[in-house]
Amino acid sequence: MIFFNKKTLSGSIGTAKVNFCLSRQNAWLLWLCQCLNIAVIALELSTWMLAIILLSLAWQALLLHNSRDREKTRKKETTVKHSSQRQHNHLQKQKQKQKQATIVSPIILGIFALIGCLVIAITAREVGILASMVHLLCFSYVLKAFELKARRDFYQLLLLGLFVLVSSLIFRQDLLFSFITLTLLVINLSVLLQFFSSEKNFARDIKVMTIILGQSAMLAVVLFLVFPRLSPFWQMPRAKSAETGLSGTVKPGDIANLSRSTKLAFRADFGQQSIPNYSQLYWRAMVLEDYDGRQWTRIKAAHKNTGKQATSSTFSVNINDSDIVPLNYQVTIEPSFQKYLFALAPAINSTEGYGIRAKNDYTFMSSKIITQAKSYRLSSFLSLPLSLVLSEHSRTVNLNYPQGSNPRLEQMALQLKHIYPDSQARAQAVLSRINKQNYSYTLQPPLLLNNSLDQFFFDTQAGFCVHYASAFTFIMRASGIPARLVTGYLGGEYNGSNNEDEYSEKGHLSIYQYDAHAWSEIWVQDKGWVRVDPTGAVDPERVNSGWSNELLQEQSKLNNELFSLYQMKNIAWLNSLRLQFDILDYQWTRWVIGFNSKQQHNILKQWFGNMASWKFALIIAIALVISMVMLMLFLHFFNRSTLKKQPLSKWQLVYQKVLGKLAKQGIVKPVAMTVNDFSRQVREQYPELAIVFTRLSVSYSYLSYQVLSTDEQLKHTIKIQQQYREFLQILKKQP
Amino acid sequence: MGIMSVFSLPKSISRFFNRNFERWLSKRVPTRNEHQLNSRNIMIYPTRFGLSYLGFVVLVFLLGTNYQNNIILLFSYLLASLFISVMLHSFYNFSQLRFYSRPKQRGYVDDLIYFAIKITTDKTHYDINAHFTDRTLISQSAHLAQCVQGSEEIKLTYKSSKRGRHYLGRVTVFSEYSLGLFKSKTVLDFGHYAIIYPKAKSLITSQFQFSSQPEEPNIESYQTTNSIGTDDFSELKSFVRGESRARTAWKQLAKGQGHYSKHYQASQGQLQWLKLQDMPSNDVETQLAYLSFLIGELTATNQVFGLSLSADISNKSMNIAPNVGFEHQQACLTALALY
Repeated sequence: MIFFNKKTLSGSIGTAKVNFCLSRQNAWLLWLCQCLNIAVIALELSTWMLAIILLSLAWQALLLHNSRDREKTRKKETTVKHSSQRQHNHLQKQKQKQKQATIVSPIILGIFALIGCLVIAITAREVGILASMVHLLCFSYVLKAFELKARRDFYQLLLLGLFVLVSSLIFRQDLLFSFITLTLLVINLSVLLQFFSSEKNFARDIKVMTIILGQSAMLAVVLFLVFPRLSPFWQMPRAKSAETGLSGTVKPGDIANLSRSTKLAFRADFGQQSIPNYSQLYWRAMVLEDYDGRQWTRIKAAHKNTGKQATSSTFSVNINDSDIVPLNYQVTIEPSFQKYLFALAPAINSTEGYGIRAKNDYTFMSSKIITQAKSYRLSSFLSLPLSLVLSEHSRTVNLNYPQGSNPRLEQMALQLKHIYPDSQARAQAVLSRINKQNYSYTLQPPLLLNNSLDQFFFDTQAGFCVHYASAFTFIMRASGIPARLVTGYLGGEYNGSNNEDEYSEKGHLSIYQYDAHAWSEIWVQDKGWVRVDPTGAVDPERVNSGWSNELLQEQSKLNNELFSLYQMKNIAWLNSLRLQFDILDYQWTRWVIGFNSKQQHNILKQWFGNMASWKFALIIAIALVISMVMLMLFLHFFNRSTLKKQPLSKWQLVYQKVLGKLAKQGIVKPVAMTVNDFSRQVREQYPELAIVFTRLSVSYSYLSYQVLSTDEQLKHTIKIQQQYREFLQILKKQP
Repeated sequence: MGIMSVFSLPKSISRFFNRNFERWLSKRVPTRNEHQLNSRNIMIYPTRFGLSYLGFVVLVFLLGTNYQNNIILLFSYLLASLFISVMLHSFYNFSQLRFYSRPKQRGYVDDLIYFAIKITTDKTHYDINAHFTDRTLISQSAHLAQCVQGSEEIKLTYKSSKRGRHYLGRVTVFSEYSLGLFKSKTVLDFGHYAIIYPKAKSLITSQFQFSSQPEEPNIESYQTTNSIGTDDFSELKSFVRGESRARTAWKQLAKGQGHYSKHYQASQGQLQWLKLQDMPSNDVETQLAYLSFLIGELTATNQVFGLSLSADISNKSMNIAPNVGFEHQQACLTALALY
């Protein structure tokens, strides 16, 4: 008896703090939830932290596993409820001891936490503030699970888990990842729900939680659309993720490594306009002018010196003057943690005030490091020449090369200079040499000693785009033609309807990391900077339509992926699935990730027209109230619908009809009266109907209160219908 | 639904507030045996966790704004609207419940007295908790994890060490279902009261003699002499489960001869009066305790007896005419409790 009381005590709310205990299933689910939440953010954690977290989780699992024995003894205890008092006390003591075993002593935990915090503080400088914050968060999340003493701790743990989930979104926002986080949110909340409805199974909890979240989604979307977008309140530490994509310095072989990646670099949307040919899609990112014999680098000093001059010499076009139709497009760039942007040169920025800066080498830079998807609009004039005037400074820079770094190439350049005085003919000669001789285009170029271009051009004769572009540029410089290396991306995958109709052309180009490319530009009098792509000489397919199958196969071999791009592209349904997902992801990036206050303003303007800001505020308030009321009404009906009336069976309907007829005759059956009593009453009041009605009542009570097989039921139903007809006949005979 | 929040106010204000609240409540939830929960009598307010959840949502919103991260903002909006839909779910989980309870329960001092509350529902409800609103009572809250369609019963216990009639006040029923963000609460007034009988204190038979009601002259003629002892012991029969332990022949049991119970021959026709002043003690409480014991004994042996608590025989509530049976026993014990 006493034990029973204690048990109810522990179940009650007021005393839960004293004796808080999660059910076994709930505890395991909480553990699983922790694992999943950590897994989402695991990429941002350093290895040692991951090791500690895994260790703690394993320890947690061990404790949970051990607690199973405790559970068993408790069950035994309940079965021996009748045993004597002393035994009870003994068991209780034992239980307490075991309970202590599962809760780790706070001193050890404290020391552990302290050491962890110290290590995080020490490494903070290395990994950056944000990363160390995340480390701290995850560390506390895992440690908190060791001291679940009260319900409060359980709540704290759950909120911490949600916060871990949310902070993982700082680093990635694409559709797939957002979907994963949403799923995990459902699971996290279901664990909380299960705490309050322990009798249901977990799948039902997930279902209920999904429904609740679905109901909330409506209001959330309204909030997302109308709630004013605020500017940041204070500066937050930025994510210090590894830079992806092209880098400011390029060695031969660099881009080949990048080409293994199948990650998205950016997307370009041309709207209703037709997309230029593949071979024209040279997405310019960086111009590398400084060569030191080993690698190409961007010139930063030059930009500083000629800062003002640079802005004046950037490309500009008077649209009214020229009859060239500009190519307008929107570029949505994925976070690269760098500053450079992509453009089809020459281009002008058609959206002002987006923190985009045009440079005098026809590239664009963002003023901030790109940590999130960002989009901008450009207008390109592909047929216009690049910079007809070459400044003296620029000429010297673009003719400069370390003397004697590649003697054989220098020698060849001098020979060419004699044979071909025209610069374009000289360039063509080099290209035809590459084309005719046994050069190969490969993702796995042989290693070069000191990045020697001589060795590549005369000995190995195998390389990727940078090899060809840098060798070509070197030859041009050595032969006295200003030349420079440009890096960026080439081509892109068109994703959208392939109809020839002009109206239905609604697709976008996706440019992946493997589209990274390097080419050269030479300056020709009266033509300006002319693009020359030596890759076209060795692998024309790459330049005209994209990767050849051989390259794709080579890539899939190098990557060792389960679903390599090569396989994907060759299995039709898989490829169409991939493309469909790409479209979804693009829309997600465009409308959700890229949704900013300007877009918000435009949408509201589109809906309600131009108006004063107080009217906007009013609309926002009204929209919120309306959606909340709708949510309430929806839930109201949602809950009502469960109160369904059971349909009446045939004999019940018959009996109801009879009662209705009798009521017209003035005999009303009180609700509380039994069927037999009522038939007695009818017999007294209406003797003419007595026999028929009594029979009918008997059949009715037989059908209602006896357990019958379906056959019998059918027989009796027919019988009662006959009796009903008889009843009607007799009733008609009455005056 | 009345949404109220809890403030910590100075005492005088809070007292004023409480009094008004009490008045408002009695108008809103009057005393009845049966209550149905609806928007009139349900109160919903965020729990402490609910408030910290809101704080958390604001934190997420700040994070999203500071990073200009739309997905995090979307998350915070989703969490905020979840707060509202959970409130509604919490309400619907709680409404439409019907409660029925009988107001009166009886029992001895230090015994557990159960107040059963029957809950009838049309659909499944979760996490129903009930306790007496007055937390100073020695009582435990009852918890029902799941209340399926149909009816369920929860029991509130009550224990007291003082005899008498105890009004227990309202019953608080609450649920934190969905996510524990909200507490749906109602304070129902079933008019619960407990009648606590004095604890039976055993009395050796020889210590006490039955007496007739001498002051009553017109009493039936066959009531002649004071009978000695309760009645005549007739035989020992082996113990049958369910028999009163009071009749166990402890002597035989202790000797290891088996579990027997004593059987008495009821001496019919003897009217006996239990009188308060006949009890061998100076303390009224002890006397009442003896009476309580004797009433139990006499009812167990099916004897006719009357109870007289005051010398004034015309006082109906203090003097109960001789009778037998359970109802008579209850009436007598109630009289003791209320003495």
